Amino acid sequence: MIAIGMEGSANKLGIGIMLHPKDGSPPQVLANIRHTYVSPPGEGFLPKDTARHHRQWVVKLVKQALQEAKVSVDDVDCICFTKGPGMGAPLQSVVVAARMLSLLWGKELVGVNHCVGHIEMGRLITGATNPVVLYVSGGNTQVIAYSSQRYRIFGETLDMAVGNCLDRFARTLHISNDPAPGYNIEQLAKQGKQLVDLPYVVKGMDCSFSGILAAIDGLAKQWGLGGEEKAQEDEQKTIESTIATDESLESTPTRADLCFSLQETVFSMLVEITERAMAHVGSKQVLIVGGVGSNERLQEMMGIMARDRGGSVYATDERFCIDNGIMIAQAGILAYGTGFRTPLKESTCTQRFRTDEVFVKWRD
Amino acid sequence: MAPSLETISLPHLPLPVHVVLYRNVQNAASLKGRLLTGQSEFEYAFIDASMVLSRAHATAAVFRAVNDYMHDRLKSHNVHSEIVFSLNPTNNITESFRRFGISDSTKDLLVIKVSVSPEITYESVAAHLDSSVEGTPVPFDDQTLSEISDVNKIKKAYKLAALPSPTAKENDEAKQRLENSLLSAIALRGS
Amino acid sequence: MEEYKPPALPSPFNNTTPPPTLLIQGAEAHLYKTTSLNPSIPAALKIRPSKPYRHPILDRRLTRQRITSEARCLAKLVREGVSVPALLALDWEGHGGEEGGWGGAWLMMEWIDGPVIRVVLEQWEAWMKQNAGSLDQSQVENEEARVRGLLRKMGAAIGVLHKAGVVHGDLTTSNLMLRPFANASGTVDGTRSPSMEGDVVLIDFGLASQSNQDEDRAVDLYVLERAIGSTHPRSEPMFEEMIMGYRDSYKGAPSALKRLEDVRLRGRKRSMLG
Repeated sequence: MIAIGMEGSANKLGIGIMLHPKDGSPPQVLANIRHTYVSPPGEGFLPKDTARHHRQWVVKLVKQALQEAKVSVDDVDCICFTKGPGMGAPLQSVVVAARMLSLLWGKELVGVNHCVGHIEMGRLITGATNPVVLYVSGGNTQVIAYSSQRYRIFGETLDMAVGNCLDRFARTLHISNDPAPGYNIEQLAKQGKQLVDLPYVVKGMDCSFSGILAAIDGLAKQWGLGGEEKAQEDEQKTIESTIATDESLESTPTRADLCFSLQETVFSMLVEITERAMAHVGSKQVLIVGGVGSNERLQEMMGIMARDRGGSVYATDERFCIDNGIMIAQAGILAYGTGFRTPLKESTCTQRFRTDEVFVKWRD
Repeated sequence: MAPSLETISLPHLPLPVHVVLYRNVQNAASLKGRLLTGQSEFEYAFIDASMVLSRAHATAAVFRAVNDYMHDRLKSHNVHSEIVFSLNPTNNITESFRRFGISDSTKDLLVIKVSVSPEITYESVAAHLDSSVEGTPVPFDDQTLSEISDVNKIKKAYKLAALPSPTAKENDEAKQRLENSLLSAIALRGS
Repeated sequence: MEEYKPPALPSPFNNTTPPPTLLIQGAEAHLYKTTSLNPSIPAALKIRPSKPYRHPILDRRLTRQRITSEARCLAKLVREGVSVPALLALDWEGHGGEEGGWGGAWLMMEWIDGPVIRVVLEQWEAWMKQNAGSLDQSQVENEEARVRGLLRKMGAAIGVLHKAGVVHGDLTTSNLMLRPFANASGTVDGTRSPSMEGDVVLIDFGLASQSNQDEDRAVDLYVLERAIGSTHPRSEPMFEEMIMGYRDSYKGAPSALKRLEDVRLRGRKRSMLG
């Protein structure tokens, strides 16, 4: 079976082609390409601009993916698309393309839950069999565990997603959105030394980030660290000045210190709620998925926690944990294999679509 | 020799603790004076026993002080002054001595000495106290303490005036509740 | 995969003989049984081990905050005469785990004898199932009255807790214990329906906070309602009985119960139990 996966729930447009060989040998990624809409520093991506980006690129990407995969349209069994959750306009632009291809080629549609896509791709790549899943991205923050045909949400953010918190702070600091604001925060945080006090909000297995963002935005303002000029200073910094910060501990925090402190605080919260879920369900595996999951410091912290519990952490690299098309193909082909289809008139998309709404027929 | 000197091994703590309770002490003023000169042989916790509710009350303060001593975070000069300080629910050291320490008029005296060095033995402590304290050693138990403690003063020092006062009966709930309240105040000081 | 080993005990418990026995190892804390400051009286020792994954400054700050918050709740409840384990000793800094490093904060509590209510209810449910055929109407009514009595007692205990200005944060039938009266005799052997005599004692204040808000109280009750519903199917219809015990226990109860209606309707979020 061969499936095309089409993803565009946020600012990444991804097309992937997945092969599940008939003989039962391991699935193969035939193509996995992505094009990202990057907004200027200090700005987020707006739905209408993002949707326009996806419309402009979708045909080109599908063609390129088919070429890379060396398959013809005839070989394709189904077209999988992200049904939600995500931003309305970008989702719509991709679902329209999916419908068009379905009609043009006479292929069946499979609507996929974006979060389930992340989980299934993570399981496939890492080989984690039944992990507690931490799903962290710009739009979602959830701790998930599988039980009786559902991916159940044990904990989640009570307000904004952790990735959104990081992205918005990147805007405050005018950090570049290329390749991703979170990636650039991570690099800057590596030079941070001093931990500033930030709120830490965990309630059971839930957490909250809005108070932290407000606090750190306030600190950036208080110390005059926000804005374009400071961002340029960052770029001009030499190695010399990085060493100088070593000695200036307990002094005025730097931009790097703020990024460092933000990461240390929010990642500690994420590891804490994940550990609580692991203790609750008695699992020793943890799988991190979603864009924020590519952060190496988060992976490191999660690894230490898992090791201390006698378990291990599974994470994927940016090809698979940042939004992509192949994960939609993977989750879609699993559902397709159990007979699941999305009829044309039901091939809508939705901004809200909870992970636990999906009936996971393909697992025991 | 003081027949009632007792050596207690508090669970969890490696240092033995020597304790004796005196009644009808005649030379409190002189004992206090010698304590204040800071001579090392007079390094004791001299506690006004009327401010001690029970054995558990006193041992909680000893535990707190010795644990802080072992972890190098004494707030006062030495582990013995720290025991007196540990009875206090607040961080005011002067106040703790005024409330719980020996005064010129102290009649009932609880003496505690921790074996912080090998020279401090049962024999050395017993001999020194025998020659220094003019008073009658009595058993250090709840029965005796119940005749000595000034419950109202204790309650006032811990701001627990609203709690019911203990009665004479056995398994007294009011006494248990008061004692538990004292223990938690000692544990939480400075938190 | 290697077997999980709990971290080394913080000083002074690394020298305790016999060593404390590990009872429960949660995500946040480990519970041990050991002796109190009186060698003949047992105590519960709760340790919050250091979390090496987080920044040491943040780790100390959080550990200290949480252990002292729990200790303050216990101290307050003891003063107010609520049935909780007494706080015996505390160290929010903690010392001496591996290589003399930081081992974690700890608090020592009074040891509570007796079963947790989850076990009492499970034994009762099993006993009822086993003897369903041989009980006559009045015996069944008698048994159900006993459970209702227990549930009312639980409700009253929670009411007293709320009245004292504390919400528990994690009420389940595993965090309520039944301490037999001092003069009680005999043990539960499974041949008789379990005893329901005794005091209801609330334990584990790791997620507790001080609050007098109806909302917090209602959420406390709602969490327990769902916990009872998922672990004790037979006694679920009797939750109302618990509410009755609660309603009569303090003046603010009716207004907290009114709020409970809202919380139920709202459903904090989609049920995630199970």
